[in-house]
Amino acid sequence: MTLYIIRRLLWAVLVVNVVVFITFLVFFKLPNGNPALRFVGKFPTQENIQLAEQRLHLNRPFYIEYFYFVKNFFAGDEYGWPGLGYSYGNYVSVRSEVLQRAPRTLFLIAGAATIWLIFGVAIGVLSAVRRRTAVDRAAMGFALFGISAPVFWLGLMALFLIWKKLGLTDGSGYTPIDQGIGHWFGHLILPWTVLALLYIAIYARLTRNNLLETLGEDYIRTARAKGLSERRVILKHGLRASLTPIVTIFGLDMALLVGGAIITESVFNIQGLGWLAYNGAITQDLPSVLGVVICTATAVALANLIVDILYAFLDPRVRYA
Amino acid sequence: MKNPIRKLTWLVGLAAAFAVASAMGASAHTTASSTIKSGGTLNVGWEQAFNFTDNGDPTGEYLGEWFGIADNLLVRTLVGYNHTAGAAGNTIVADIATSVPKPTNGGKTYTFHIKQGVMFSPPVSRQVTCADEVNAMQRLANPKDGGQYAFYYTVIKGWDSYAAGKAKSISGISCPNSSTVVFNLTQPTGDFLFRMAMPATGPQPAEVTKCFEGQAGKYALDLISTAGYMYQGIDQVDISSCSKLKPASGYDGQTQMILVRNPNYKQSTDPTRKNYVDEVRFLIDASDVDIYNKVENGTFDLAESTIPNTVLKKYATDPSLKSHFFQNSGDRTWYLTMNMTQPPFDDVHVRRAMNWIIDKAALRQIWGGPTVGDIANHIVPDTLFNFKLQEYKPYQTAGDHGSVTKARLAMKGSPYADKTGMCTASVCKNVLLIADARAVDPGMVSVIQQDAAKIGITFTVRTINGAYPTVQTVAKNVPISERPGWGKDYADPVTFFEPLFDGRTIIPTGNTNYSLVGITKSQCTKLKVTGDCNTYNPKTGLGVLSVNSMLDKCSPLTGTARTVCYEGMDKYLSTQVVPWVPWMWSKVTRITSSNVTHYQFDQFGTTPAYAMISVKS
Amino acid sequence: MAATPGSTSTLLEVRNLTVRFRTRDGVVQAVSDLSFSLRRGDTLGVVGESGSGKSVTSLAVMGLLNRAYADIEGEILFEGRDLLKLSPAELREVRGRDVSMIFQDPFACLHPMYRVGDQIAEAVRAHQDVPKKQAGDRAVELLGAVGIPNAKVRARDYPHQFSGGMRQRAMIAMALVHNPDVLIADEPTTALDVTVQAQILELIDRVKREFDVGVILITHDLGVVAETATHVMVMYAGRSVEQGIASEIFGSAQHPYTWGLLESMPSVERKLDVLVPIEGSPPSLLHPPSGCAFHPRCNYRFEPCSSKLPSLEPIAGGHLDACHLSPERKREVWRTKIAAEIGAPA
Repeated sequence: MTLYIIRRLLWAVLVVNVVVFITFLVFFKLPNGNPALRFVGKFPTQENIQLAEQRLHLNRPFYIEYFYFVKNFFAGDEYGWPGLGYSYGNYVSVRSEVLQRAPRTLFLIAGAATIWLIFGVAIGVLSAVRRRTAVDRAAMGFALFGISAPVFWLGLMALFLIWKKLGLTDGSGYTPIDQGIGHWFGHLILPWTVLALLYIAIYARLTRNNLLETLGEDYIRTARAKGLSERRVILKHGLRASLTPIVTIFGLDMALLVGGAIITESVFNIQGLGWLAYNGAITQDLPSVLGVVICTATAVALANLIVDILYAFLDPRVRYA
Repeated sequence: MKNPIRKLTWLVGLAAAFAVASAMGASAHTTASSTIKSGGTLNVGWEQAFNFTDNGDPTGEYLGEWFGIADNLLVRTLVGYNHTAGAAGNTIVADIATSVPKPTNGGKTYTFHIKQGVMFSPPVSRQVTCADEVNAMQRLANPKDGGQYAFYYTVIKGWDSYAAGKAKSISGISCPNSSTVVFNLTQPTGDFLFRMAMPATGPQPAEVTKCFEGQAGKYALDLISTAGYMYQGIDQVDISSCSKLKPASGYDGQTQMILVRNPNYKQSTDPTRKNYVDEVRFLIDASDVDIYNKVENGTFDLAESTIPNTVLKKYATDPSLKSHFFQNSGDRTWYLTMNMTQPPFDDVHVRRAMNWIIDKAALRQIWGGPTVGDIANHIVPDTLFNFKLQEYKPYQTAGDHGSVTKARLAMKGSPYADKTGMCTASVCKNVLLIADARAVDPGMVSVIQQDAAKIGITFTVRTINGAYPTVQTVAKNVPISERPGWGKDYADPVTFFEPLFDGRTIIPTGNTNYSLVGITKSQCTKLKVTGDCNTYNPKTGLGVLSVNSMLDKCSPLTGTARTVCYEGMDKYLSTQVVPWVPWMWSKVTRITSSNVTHYQFDQFGTTPAYAMISVKS
Repeated sequence: MAATPGSTSTLLEVRNLTVRFRTRDGVVQAVSDLSFSLRRGDTLGVVGESGSGKSVTSLAVMGLLNRAYADIEGEILFEGRDLLKLSPAELREVRGRDVSMIFQDPFACLHPMYRVGDQIAEAVRAHQDVPKKQAGDRAVELLGAVGIPNAKVRARDYPHQFSGGMRQRAMIAMALVHNPDVLIADEPTTALDVTVQAQILELIDRVKREFDVGVILITHDLGVVAETATHVMVMYAGRSVEQGIASEIFGSAQHPYTWGLLESMPSVERKLDVLVPIEGSPPSLLHPPSGCAFHPRCNYRFEPCSSKLPSLEPIAGGHLDACHLSPERKREVWRTKIAAEIGAPA
């Protein structure tokens, strides 16, 4: 198992490298205009443009810039280790930005993930057990709403109703946890819920379908034949076997949200990694984009690995060489 | 109520009560707006990101929104403005200088005297001197320091040599003593004082800026102020050596800019700024809807943000909100640009016909209607001519909807048109139109297509997210685009005409003379222009026109002569050269919270005049 | 364990059991009018093709049929109590404790993610409130009792680490945890190798004697029944067509279907070229044939078979069959044709 983990970690490093390389390729090759032009005013001379490109490390071929970036990454630069450079627009160290924003995004994801996992699975189980009854239909209907309602609408509605009209939570924005856990929670509870609603739908359906399939298996019949209570049959025998695909997807979903919760972060002004990625993309700020890309790619690779290991623990039939 | 007398009394009583209530309300308004107090904090919600072009470094910063901040709160210049709206706000007054100098030596020499008592903020804490002014100008000239409008100052003697690294200083700027600055120009320049009011020319302390050589924009994190405010925390920064320098805590470039009072500032040296509030905070908020929610409940007092349509409508129509709703001229023209080298737009008949046929009111409606701007009738917004060209409407049509009759009439005589005035030549079909991918663009493209079809022109539309780079690349030979807009740099018409219509300054990328007015055949070859680069032939109407000589004639003039010269240029461009279809002069809309007791508009940056706004404290 | 051990009292008595499934395509008549009884020490072999209703019968006895879809009529008397009238909670008490069942595919029947020993221990704790350790010890004890070597170590294995035969043994161990009175084995050997089959059958037999239970052994293979059954019930299309003591059935079967089964059963005594399968396929239970359900495939059918349902009639001493043929004709066929072919005494 240890060998397997080491192999997977090395593979993850390779994957992240490839992703970064592709980002460079896309940035340099796609015809979206020269980012240096943003910094040279209305009448740039060629010299001005070249100087700007030099400052932004854009004047050499993309693979050279890529190697320069990799070297800086591992060696560190004047902002610390790992070396991620500075944002084109405002000289802010990308590393410090990522370090400041990552906890916000991670808290957002963790909270939402907890909510959607618990509620999604619970609703799924309920639906499966009360299949085709009003409870099932209501649960699946609610799930459909969760998937269909656009996040920005849900978020704005939630803010309007629950913050503005009812005053039940803090509004948009983010308070770090060391500045008051009450406000930290008050700011996060709405975005958690809004973000979770989308995934609750998916997980409820997934759980319901998996559980229904599992409940048709022979060992469920054995469990009943043993005289076990129906609750035990469903939860201990049924759910346990249904969990493996859910765990797989869960890891991936969480990892992709690292750079992808942009809409939720925007609506609630959380100033997390999603904002950094989006702003970096539209202002052609390569260092910021790379910072988030590395975070997300690493998160995905790690999540895959963790999920696979968990899989082996959950299902003893799976063994890794 | 059976008794009619009782009914009447009731009604009268109700009316009276209503009258009293509204009178109280009204007087409450007037009372509120006339109590201007010092103190308090002004909170400004800023949408998404600052998007500064140079992080807020005065040398390279070119963003209008930042000009408003700098001009009011951080950067004093030798001469400046009154931080108010309209023509008064576009008039040059003295700021650091004791008075506005008149040029001598045939208009080629300007001498400024620096007021005593104009100080840098902590931690520099000393009197501003001529050397500091020289330092700022040298930073602007040095291409490594990110200056974005250095081209305005090439008229200063020795500027180009210094910029090329051939001289150690700029020979045309001299310091007879520490409080006198003398500028010697290569030729008379009528708008030189306007150029000396740009923030990049404000004096900067070399002991701090020297640490940022070649790192364009990084000085912004440690900007030393000469005006009424400074970055929070700048006084804590250790400037004893470059290695010890750290960014001020109040500005992080990405999420907030907090400004507190500059303790070294002497109000007595500054008649133009009132500096009511104690603190100004610019706070990034990711969502415009959220920002205006916060303006409504007073968390923000102002916003630097797009305004959601619902909010705009609410404030524009609700009478109780009218006192928080402010509209001013944006000094910006939105226009369709036509490339004079690309058929069918190489024909002046066609370009005139386009001006007649386009439904400008419909285009404006897509942007939000009359609240968003006025219909543009010629090149430069009326405010820059002090409204002297207000009645000049060479292509006026009923309701600004365009006129088929007039358009077809204008087409007569065009080699591309038939007898009825329809563009029938093959070059009239499937002309490439470059559109952007904003929310308004699809609607605009649709209007333009419908209108142009009425004179026989059809388009192949290419939508590009971020169309400017394409339109600004000459070799792409874009015939027509609906994307452009142009705002003034300062309140002199030259900032429109020069960059937009001078053929000699056309550059391969980042070009702003999209119509290629005044381009020569050799330029065409060098810049890879396909199409028609012949000079204008009055018999056919085809070919390139030039205004280069007109520009040279107007630029040294001052006063009334200057204005009259540029008025003539606008008329000539609008009717004879016709490079554009201008369709809107945008308005700037600002919405304030109920905390704001006095609001003022700064015409220079077309931003709120932050130094002249007061809040309840 | 309500009945006294060692006696030959009737453990289980099924009377007129009828099971109908309501499906979208119509009503499926899975079991019709089935009656049989089981005493301690009996091994009742229930034989029939797939779809004959044998599994459904056992599921009905165990109370594992979903009453939302299945209409069940009749009586299933276990030690005097009608199981069909019990509440779900009461049924759950009986299940696994007094009546146990093992199934066909032991691999699919054990939860792949829990250890074998834990699953058996869970069966212990389902009906007895004992500490986990004690339940675990009992599991090991039973694993040993069913012939699994090194039981303590093997108990910590997962099902996929057991061989097919061992898994079935483990299932049997799990069924015996509470010393049940009735053990139902539904096709226990079908998924196993021939050599292992014999071992399992022998184990079931031994268990019957050691634990003093009554066994219902369900199978489609008459050969399996021949070894160990004391009684045989042949089912076809949801009905019992012949039932009685094993020696009687094998000695003088009366029903043409039973004849067919015997003829198609390979055994050492027979010559291989005389294997005769029953032609045709099992009938649809949605639309069963009229009259005798077997008649379309019967070589001996005659006029009443297609219209009149034959009832179960006793022949002698508990031997019942349902066929219109006269007893003389049946004896004649047995003597002249069948017995010779299968090498049985005439």
